[in-house]
Amino acid sequence: MKTVDARGKLCPVPLIMTKKALTEMSENETLEVLLDNDTSAKNVTRMLEEFRMSVSLTKNGNIFKLTVTKTGEVPENSHAEDFCEIENQEISNYVIAFQRNTLGEGNADLGIILLKAFVNTLPEVNAKPRKMVFLNAGIFLAINDSPVLEALKTLENMGTEILVCGTCLDFYEKKNELAVGKVSNMYDILEVLATAGSVLYP
Amino acid sequence: MNYLLIFESTHHVMKAEKLLLAAGFRLDIISTPKEISSACGLSIRMKPENTDLEMVRLVLTENGLTFNIHEKK
Repeated sequence: MKTVDARGKLCPVPLIMTKKALTEMSENETLEVLLDNDTSAKNVTRMLEEFRMSVSLTKNGNIFKLTVTKTGEVPENSHAEDFCEIENQEISNYVIAFQRNTLGEGNADLGIILLKAFVNTLPEVNAKPRKMVFLNAGIFLAINDSPVLEALKTLENMGTEILVCGTCLDFYEKKNELAVGKVSNMYDILEVLATAGSVLYP
Repeated sequence: MNYLLIFESTHHVMKAEKLLLAAGFRLDIISTPKEISSACGLSIRMKPENTDLEMVRLVLTENGLTFNIHEKK
């Protein structure tokens, strides 16, 4: 087993050291990476997962130990630096505007299950939306019996702001059932959409 | 840690979701994680603390569904 000691090193050094070690190793050999902070552990893990190698992480006091087996070649065109993300920068400058409670167009049941998968997957991805806007039938995702309420609350706790169209809540008579986010109006919503880096319409 | 139920097709996931919800289970639909290779991009996530796996197996196999269970952090 090979060991990379990246304690005390700042991003992107641990990433580069890990990638270099893996490149030099032969297949099925195991690598151990020592790190001293959570952010580095997350960054290196993300890179290894992108390489399609499975990682296990153990923590002993302030020392993080990642263990990875080289199960394939390190992609040549990958840049270790790209995985350098500093804590709290994981929220990106995009906004998701939910205009209905399904995803895409086509079969209604499929639309519903896809929407659930979409929202439930958001807390797992690195690039979290800065804000989410719920309009028209999209408001049904933000009320008490929403199938994705838990994920929306998780995202809100992670720092994503949730804005729900007040006119729409009023129209569907769901004002008293709002379960996540805050009631908003067309001025605020328009400004959010207009100033976003990009807007996704699921 | 969560249980992930992986199925052969989207139709099976949709059927399993209906059956499990009808049987009173709590679950989430989630995109199948990249590290799990699967024919189907959707899977069912369940929390161990309110999931009796034997009951889940019973409900699903009774209805002719085949699936794999993974454990995910």
